Amino acid sequence: MSIRLLPPTLINRIAAGEVVERPAAVVKELVENALDAGAGRIEVGIADGGRAAITVVDDGGGMTAEELPLAVERHATSKLPDDDLVHITHLGFRGEALPAIGAVARLALTSRCHGADSAWSLAVTAGAQGNVAPTAHPPGTRVEVRDLFFATPARLKFLKAPRTEAGHIRDVIERLALAHAGVGFALTDEGRSVLRVQAGGPDLEQSRQGRLAALWGHTFVDNAVSIKAEHDGMTLGGLAGLPTFSKAAATAQYLFVNNRPVRDRLLGAAVRVAYQDVLAGDRHPVVCLFLTVAPEQVDVNVHPAKAEVRFRDAGAVRSLLISAIRHALAEAGHRTSSTVSLAALGRFQGGSTAATGSRSMGDGAPVPSLLRESLGVQAPLEGVPVRAAGGSTAENEENIAPPPDLPLGMARAQIHNTYIVAETADGLILIDQHAAHERLVLERLQTAFETATVQRQILLIPEVVEMDEPAAERLIARAEDLSAWGLVVEAFGPGAVVVRAVPAVLGETDVQGLVRDLADDLAAWETALSLKERLQHICATMACHGSVRAGRRLTVAEMNALLRQMETTPRTGQCSHGRPTHIVLKLHDIEKLFGRR
Amino acid sequence: MKLTIERSILLKALGHVQGVVEKRTTIPILANIRLDVGSHGLRLQATDIDLEIAETVPCDPIEPGSTTAPAHTLYDIVRRLPEGSDVHLEYPSKEERLILRSGRSRFVLQCLPVEDFPVMSVGDLAFSFQLRSADLRNLMERTRFAMSTEETRYYLNGLYLHAVREQNVEILRTVATDGHRLARMEVPLPEGAAGMPGIIVPRKTIEEMRPLVEETTNGITLSLSETKIRFAFDETVLVSKLIDGTFPDYERVIPQGNDKVMEVNAKMLADAVNRVSAVMTTDKARAVKLDLTKGNLALSASNTTTADNAEDALEASYDSTPLSIGFNSRYLLDVLGQMTGETVRFILLDPSSPTVVRDAADGSALYVLMPMRV
Repeated sequence: MSIRLLPPTLINRIAAGEVVERPAAVVKELVENALDAGAGRIEVGIADGGRAAITVVDDGGGMTAEELPLAVERHATSKLPDDDLVHITHLGFRGEALPAIGAVARLALTSRCHGADSAWSLAVTAGAQGNVAPTAHPPGTRVEVRDLFFATPARLKFLKAPRTEAGHIRDVIERLALAHAGVGFALTDEGRSVLRVQAGGPDLEQSRQGRLAALWGHTFVDNAVSIKAEHDGMTLGGLAGLPTFSKAAATAQYLFVNNRPVRDRLLGAAVRVAYQDVLAGDRHPVVCLFLTVAPEQVDVNVHPAKAEVRFRDAGAVRSLLISAIRHALAEAGHRTSSTVSLAALGRFQGGSTAATGSRSMGDGAPVPSLLRESLGVQAPLEGVPVRAAGGSTAENEENIAPPPDLPLGMARAQIHNTYIVAETADGLILIDQHAAHERLVLERLQTAFETATVQRQILLIPEVVEMDEPAAERLIARAEDLSAWGLVVEAFGPGAVVVRAVPAVLGETDVQGLVRDLADDLAAWETALSLKERLQHICATMACHGSVRAGRRLTVAEMNALLRQMETTPRTGQCSHGRPTHIVLKLHDIEKLFGRR
Repeated sequence: MKLTIERSILLKALGHVQGVVEKRTTIPILANIRLDVGSHGLRLQATDIDLEIAETVPCDPIEPGSTTAPAHTLYDIVRRLPEGSDVHLEYPSKEERLILRSGRSRFVLQCLPVEDFPVMSVGDLAFSFQLRSADLRNLMERTRFAMSTEETRYYLNGLYLHAVREQNVEILRTVATDGHRLARMEVPLPEGAAGMPGIIVPRKTIEEMRPLVEETTNGITLSLSETKIRFAFDETVLVSKLIDGTFPDYERVIPQGNDKVMEVNAKMLADAVNRVSAVMTTDKARAVKLDLTKGNLALSASNTTTADNAEDALEASYDSTPLSIGFNSRYLLDVLGQMTGETVRFILLDPSSPTVVRDAADGSALYVLMPMRV
């Protein structure tokens, strides 16, 4: 067959394959259009998972009768005023969405400009344009998409169940609603209201938090630290969850670049690094970050659905994310998630009746005789005056009310030689002495480790590690950074590197494995995570061995010293394995337990 | 099967063979040792498939026969029997259990069929020669500390035993390295070893052989092929598979051009290294810096995390330009521990090149240490 130009309908259907691969993509395109039109309120209605109908109504700028036919033409847009692809300030700019949707569905546009006296409508069915006709409509635009993909039956077959597609749509709206706190959103699924958020106030940070609370619940907002950082023209805001408030999957990690929700592996890498030593390896933090950069610093024209972006200086963005999160977490210091405390309280409540009273401490509570035995250290020696857990200094401190300016309060007792009970102005705190001290030692070791020069053991027999060429090149490109960490690598022909020296603290280590892991890291995250992680692991092991063990008796002075150090050391909310170091029981919660409130 | 044996004899033999049996194994029979009674006495045999050991000891054989019994349990029992007692072992055929009696004690152990006990096919061992026990001991003891424990470089997890001809002298050598340091020991080549292939004897075989070599003063017969080696002691025979790999060309990493020589009392240096290391007990890297000036060796160490530091100095014979070089203190101590003479000789070049260490009085051993960048 000879070569020919494809008919426009077919071109549009091919474009539709890229831009609208499922109903959620249609919703995304239409809602973004509404946002670009300056809408203050957007209502979305769907039926049959978006397959039967999608309606998006906004109160934005609207279109004139002349603009309507143009809007459904390919590569027609109002969003590139200066034909400038560098300074992209709108969410859309390709002029592809409407014609693509029109090519695969029955599309109806109704729009009225602000100040205009009438509305106009236009219908497009499988690419065939109808006539512009006058109609009645309040100012704004209404887009109706019916029988999506009826013109491309193959695509129709690949759609998932309506419930799944509706879930994707909800997800899209949620992301857009998070990014645009100043706009009200509503989603109804066959008349049932699924999501409804009011437009936020003028204070951006406050309305964002309000929106997060509305969409993700108050628990997240209460258990997150606020992120605020600025560097080199970039601003970062949002919330990062406390390490003790984590999930088993990395599903709740959102990044918005210039209010555009993006999926970028850069976020995953940055989050992994930032939470590295405060989270257990199989847990994932919850984060929602808003990054604002100058439009020319970011290329959004790399993905048809604009789900990915490219930064001009990805390294700077990454280090901004990492340092901002780490800083915020360090500031949060000794905070642990309230969910941990709530879980503890729940345990207490479980056995509040008299019949099960002896088990009221939950599973694994010691039987009375064992309890007495393990508390034996506190039993008075005959003839010796009774005293709590303390040495001589305890006498005076014991009766002093805890000053309100000490967040972790005054140590009152040590139980099972493992946990410290501290009294604060508004409650009590249980502290795991080993976990807490381990974190203190770790922070000290890490500071020392980072400031000291790294000692390198030069290899007698240099190790040649073979790998594919790009991997080797990536390693060599970062050779200088690696050598600062004690690993000296040199190029060894194409597709191989030779390791000349390793960090001395690693001892005799699997050099091949380490270098291959590093190459993988550089490919995936552009950061030498493995090496850092291994060095950190050594610090953590040393910290674990160098800290006060469970089962050691502490004097009141020692306990108080531990509490004061925890207050001033960053990241003391959890030990190096991500377990909480302490739980806070508020006085009013305790009072509730006893029915006083 | 039925026999009576002196406890001390049985205990010693069990002590020799039970080390081969792994503590945890997925094949039940490997947890057992094989017992054979015949006119020759009692033969005990243990294996982990890669290493097999058999020892024959005199006993009073009442009824010949064979069985297998749990090695570690049997060893623990015999160890706890009173000294000077006699042990009676009985295996009534078709009962699958071993009855052990001694004095008024009685034990019943579950047995596994002797037919299931794996036997290593030794094959043809083309080379065979005798080594004096002192020579074999030196070949092992001087070098074994440098064997690697890192499993990915399996070919370094053993001793490289091979014959070389150097300056018209035939010698038998062992070499071990973990990539950071190297140890080399040599003895005159025994008759019959000429032309033997270079082989890597696994770490476990070396460790299991040490007590046997320590105890004997007689010669030991080594027979080997490219894949297996057999060590025949008076009563004990050890057969081991060899590590199937290529040992690195170690000659290339032994520097020839080092020109600075320092000699110092080995014991005093080891003590000084040990002393300054006291500040580094919480440190993983443990670097000791040596500062060489004319006639003097200054040592210093500092803890990377706490910044505690220590200094010491020794009189040393050194005549070249001043040199400052760092070593892992553990590596230094390992090497210094091998010195038999009074004086140790360091042959150096610069702070980042390999350093040769030798016993000033004994040329048979050579060590190479890689410095640390501090």
